[in-house]
Parts: sequence; C-alpha cells; structure tokens
Amino acid sequence: MHIRTVKYVIILLIILIALVVLSSAIGSANLSLKLTIKTLISVIPGIRNLINTSSINPQDFKVIFDIRLPRILVSILAGIALSGSGVIFQGIFRNPMADPYIIGVSAGAAFGATIGLLFAGNIKIISLSATSIFAFLGAIGTTFLIYNISKIKGKISVLTLLLSGVALSSLLSSIISFIMIYRTHDLAKIYFWIMGGLANSSWTNFLIIMPVIIIIMIISAFFMRDLNVMSLGDERANQLGVQTEKIKQILLILASIMAAAAVSVSGIIGFIGLITPHIMRIIIGPDHKILYPTASISGGIVLLLSDTIARTVLSPREIPVGIITSIIGVPFFIYLLIKSKRQVF
Amino acid sequence: MDYPAINVKNVSFSYNSNPALQNLNFTIERNSFVSILGPNGAGKSTLVNLLSKVILPDKGEIFIEGKNIKELTHNEIAKKVAVVPQNTSLGFNFSVYETILMGRYPYLSRFKGEKPEDYNIVDEIMELTRTDIFKDKKYNELSGGEKQRVVIAQTLAQGSPVIILDEPTSHLDINFQIEFMELFNSLYKKQGKTIIGIFHDINLAIQYSEKIMFLKEGSIYCYGNVKDVLNRKNIMSVFKSDVYIGKNPFTGKLYVSPNFNLRYNFGKEKNEKEIKIHVIGGGGSASPILNMLNNSGYIVSTGVINNLDTDLYTAEQLGITFVNEAPFSPISREAQTRNVELIKNSDVVILPCIEFGNGNFLNLIAVDEAINSGKKVIIVESADISLRDHTGGDAAKLYEKIKVKGAFILKSNDEILNVLQNGEKGK
Repeated sequence: MHIRTVKYVIILLIILIALVVLSSAIGSANLSLKLTIKTLISVIPGIRNLINTSSINPQDFKVIFDIRLPRILVSILAGIALSGSGVIFQGIFRNPMADPYIIGVSAGAAFGATIGLLFAGNIKIISLSATSIFAFLGAIGTTFLIYNISKIKGKISVLTLLLSGVALSSLLSSIISFIMIYRTHDLAKIYFWIMGGLANSSWTNFLIIMPVIIIIMIISAFFMRDLNVMSLGDERANQLGVQTEKIKQILLILASIMAAAAVSVSGIIGFIGLITPHIMRIIIGPDHKILYPTASISGGIVLLLSDTIARTVLSPREIPVGIITSIIGVPFFIYLLIKSKRQVF
Repeated sequence: MDYPAINVKNVSFSYNSNPALQNLNFTIERNSFVSILGPNGAGKSTLVNLLSKVILPDKGEIFIEGKNIKELTHNEIAKKVAVVPQNTSLGFNFSVYETILMGRYPYLSRFKGEKPEDYNIVDEIMELTRTDIFKDKKYNELSGGEKQRVVIAQTLAQGSPVIILDEPTSHLDINFQIEFMELFNSLYKKQGKTIIGIFHDINLAIQYSEKIMFLKEGSIYCYGNVKDVLNRKNIMSVFKSDVYIGKNPFTGKLYVSPNFNLRYNFGKEKNEKEIKIHVIGGGGSASPILNMLNNSGYIVSTGVINNLDTDLYTAEQLGITFVNEAPFSPISREAQTRNVELIKNSDVVILPCIEFGNGNFLNLIAVDEAINSGKKVIIVESADISLRDHTGGDAAKLYEKIKVKGAFILKSNDEILNVLQNGEKGK
C-alpha cells in the first residue's frame, strides 16, 4: 500500500474509533465518556488488566454491549459495504450516477423483505429474522436476474444492465405498492423497513454480515488498479492488458453481494453509496487504490454518525436514518462541489 | 524464434451480419514500418481491434510473433502489441503521471505495487514525449494535442515490440505530427520496433512507411513496397479519387496530391464527340490544360516536350500520347515530324502560354502550319509574347502572324472549355 493510503486510512480509523466511543456514551441513558471508555476497554484482553474494572456498573455494561455496540458495529459495516460497493459500481460503469442500488439490489431487497414480513414475520433462523434473509435473497435474486438479462455472448452490456435494472426495480416497486394497498395493516411495517433503520441490529446480524463484508472488501481491493485502467474505457483497457469482461463480472458479483448483505440488515439507506465515494474523490482524487479503502471507512463514519443522530435527537423517538444521511451529507457534498470548482468527472 | 511480428491467416470478421473484413491473409515482418490505407469503412479500425484482441475473428487465425492470439491473455498481448488509439477519454480525472503509469499495467502483479524500474521507464518516456512538463496536471485539463501526447506516452510505457498507430496524429498540430512521426520512425530504425500505422493523411504515411497495404471494402486490394503499390491507378481504385503523384524535391520521396478538376466532372458521361485536341507542351504550362481536357473527355495529345519536363511527367501520369525529345536538346527533325503528324490528326490545336527559345522554335512553326492548313487554333496569352521570346524576335514575329491568321486568343486556361463548347455549337 501507498504511504499516502496508509496515512489517510489511519486518520479515518482514529475518527471512526472516537465516534464509536462517543456513540456508545450517548443515548436515552447518557453515560460519561470516562465511564464509557473504561467499559469498552474492560473487554479488550491485555489492556483490561491495566484499569480498575470494579467501578463498572453492570447496568451500563449491558446498555453498551447488548444495545448500543451491536448497532454501532452493524452501522459501520453497512456504511463500509454501501460506500465500497458504490466505488466499485461507479468505477465499472464509469458513471457518476451509479450506486449500489443501480442493478436492483434495493428493489429486490425491499420485495424480499415485504414477502418476509407478510408471510414469515415471526420466524427466526439462527436468530436472524426471516425479513433479513428474504431481503438478502431478494437482492441477490434480482441482481442475478438483471445480470443474466444483460449478458450477451459472454459480455455484459452496461446499457442493458442499467435499463433492465431500472425496469425491474420499478416492476418490483409496483408489486410492493400493490401488496401495501392489499394489506393495509402491514403498511407501516413495510414502509419503515424500506425507509431503512438500524434499530433491530443484533450481535447475530453483526456476526453474519461481518465475514461476508470483510472478505469481499479484501478480495475486491486487489482489483482497484484494474478499475483505474478501466476508466479509460473497455477497449483501451483491453489494449493495456486488462481482462475487462472478467474483472467486470467478478466485481459486479462481489459488490452486489456486499450491498445485499448490508441492505438485508439495515433496509434501504440511500445517499451513502452514491455520495460518499464522490466526496472522497474530491478530497483525495480518483485513484481507486486510495479511494476504495478511504471511501469505505468514510461510509462507516457517515452512517454511524447519522444513526447516532437519528436515535438521539428526538429520543425516545427515532428518525429514519436515511433522512439524516441526506440532511448532513448533501449540504457537505454541495459545499465541496462548489469549493473544488473543477470537474469531478 | 524468427517468427514474423504479425501473421494473419484467412481472417474474416462481421458485425452482426455485415462483413467488415473478408479472408485477410498477410504477414508483417519484424522491424518494418507498414501503413494501412483505405477509405472510411474499409475495415482499418476493425483490423486494429483484431490485432489487439479487443475482438476475436469469426474465422481464421492471427499469430503475434508466432503465438496464436487466442491462446494469449490480454496481458501477454499488451506486452507484445501496443495501440495508440485515435482518442481517449478518461472516466475519472487522473493526473498525467498516473495516466502514463497505467501503461505499465501488463507488468504489474495484482498483489504488488510498481517497482522502481516501472517509475524509471515512465520518467524516461515522459522526457522522450515531452509530457514531463505537465506531468502533475490533470488529464482532463489538457488540450486535445497534449492528451494525445499523454496517450502516446502511455502506449510507449508498455515497451512492446509492435506498435499500432490508429490515426495517432489526427489531433496534433503539424509540428507535433512531424515530431511524433519522427519519434515512431526512430523507434523503428534505432530500437527495431515494428510500426503498423493507420493514417488518413496518405502523404504522412508514405514519408515514413516501408510498405503500404491498401484496404478496400474489407479486403486487401494490394500490399507491397511503397514504390510498387503507390500509383494513380491503385489510389483511383481504392479511394475513387484521382490524384497526382509527384516527387518531393526536398526528400526525393513520393507525394500524393488530389486532382481537384475531376470533382466537377464526377459521374459525367465522357465527351461523345471524341474531339481530338493537340496541346503544344513545354515548361509545365501545358500540364493544367492537359489535365483539364483529359478529365473532360477530350482525346488529348501533346508535343514536343523535352524529357524531365513537368509536362512530360503529366502526360505520362495521364496516359496521354506525347512526342518527346532528349533533355536540353533542340527539337529534332524526327520529333517534329511526329508532332506534325499528331496535329494533322487532331481537330484543335492549343498553344499554351509557353516560353520560346531556339530549342523549341519548331513547335511554333508547327502551329503556324496548322493554322495554314485550316486547323482551329486556340492561343492562351496570359503574358505578352515579348516577355516570352528568347529567340531575339523571330518567335514574336511568327506568333503575331499566327494571331492575325485567325487564332482564338484567350486570357487564361479557364476559358478553354467554354470556347471549345461554344465552338461546337457554332458548327
């Protein structure tokens, strides 16, 4: 890795850890920062012996470890996955409008979740809700379908991919709307799931999506030089030695699974996968080797920050997190656009 | 080990069902400079895409240095064949340096970064292509010509033995065009590279090429050394345009110039009356008239012209009957007889605005005989005869006599066709 990459990653990780501590402390029961840090450290082997753990209140421990931390960690992972797959989709399509939902992940997940909520509402499999499982299957199924529609003679037609993504997404949305009219008493549940939220995060959620997202993040990181060259266009990338078709297909599959994993536990949270990559591109430049890790961690930071605000400002009521991501993200993005005064694309 | 750089066997390719290339067979030797020429739609770009495995042939085999392209990965091909494309747009705004470094892609392992060697090569190439002066600028901020220089640098960074130029200089000003052609030429001459170029500018191509391949409607029309295949007939057939092929006096190389006259008569029927016209030649004054009349369908002859005279070269190019004489020699009796014979057989005699000396005075006598025998004589007089008479007055005297005998006097060549046509009406 580049020294510059390491520098940015370390800075972002420090911000992220500080935010984890802060977010663990605040909530309906506010804890002091000192106590929060102490509680968090008390589970880290090695360091825990250095502090006096006797002052930790079991109640606070429970609040932090059973309620807040799983939600914090899930929101970080979801943010990383959405932003990371956003970088990949924008890179593959060479299109600034691309986001993780562009090839049907969101519509498929919403459709799957709707089915799950209606027909298997209370069933849990390995303590994972049926809604999440159905959402994941819906997302992967839809992506797979769209991917196959647009694969002509072993080559992916980007235009067909985008068009069939839009078409299939609106078909699924119509079906969901129809179900919502037909089952009005489930309307709120479906609606809130679609709006996205992390209130139902659990350690199980975290432990299931973590390996998926981490493994995919690591594998796809080795394809970032290829994405750089592919920004010259497929034909030119071919001439420079890139197996464009193969790499496109690998990355499409990896990014879709990653996005589906995030969506299955968080619902459809907009904006992060679209604009976090853009923000980082303005700040650090277009080189995917640096952009990918930094934009991913930033996605985690943005979602954690948004979720913390979402659950605290109107406490005990929760604001859907998607609203917060837009309210804090969009003005910042517009500020950067004006300030940079140069072509982003 | 001594396989040719490129060997194409029976290759065909179609877009959907439209055949783009049919049954191509050719070999390009290592360390040669070959230009591929042909009109739009002849299949040149398709051929480039085939040679760089952007597309695969429907039929046939392509070998690069003896290896079948089908068995090579893009990476392996990129180490052997580099392409300078017509134009490149960048999806994301990389710096010039980053963009050129992408040329090292085929040599990098997925799991490792660039080695010092890669940076050294890029630095060297940036100096060579003079892209180092804007290496920290963003690619999308550059002018069209600068972008093209960056793309050329990126291609050279691949370090491949074969370089394909897909109209690489089309965005460059003439000074950079020449600079880059000189660069590719030195890569060919000093580093033993094989250069395969597609050019719109035929003249640029023939200045540097060793061989030319003419493509026409997806097939090879002809392929060979420049001096063997570059002629008026081939260009007429491939490009459907008439040209003049001359020799650049500075370099001794051939050059091609369009024959604009033909445009006006494109598709017109040949003159049915088969009027025969004899034009007195010498000093290049007859050339435009010969060309104009020939293009308009008249049966043209010319004489007496000394060898090495431009008019003689024109007559040869146009395939016109002519009477010639040894260089710098006065008209011999024998040549004069043949010239008079041609005049006798023609309906009109034209005397262009030529200079007269003792050497070609007989040409003027021939015109006088013609008008005496009742032939129609047209004289182009764009300069006074006194300025053109180098015989000490004899030529001017005879010239004035001819004028008095009823020749048509025109001020310029442009009026000739008009007079010929009106004259026909009068008959």
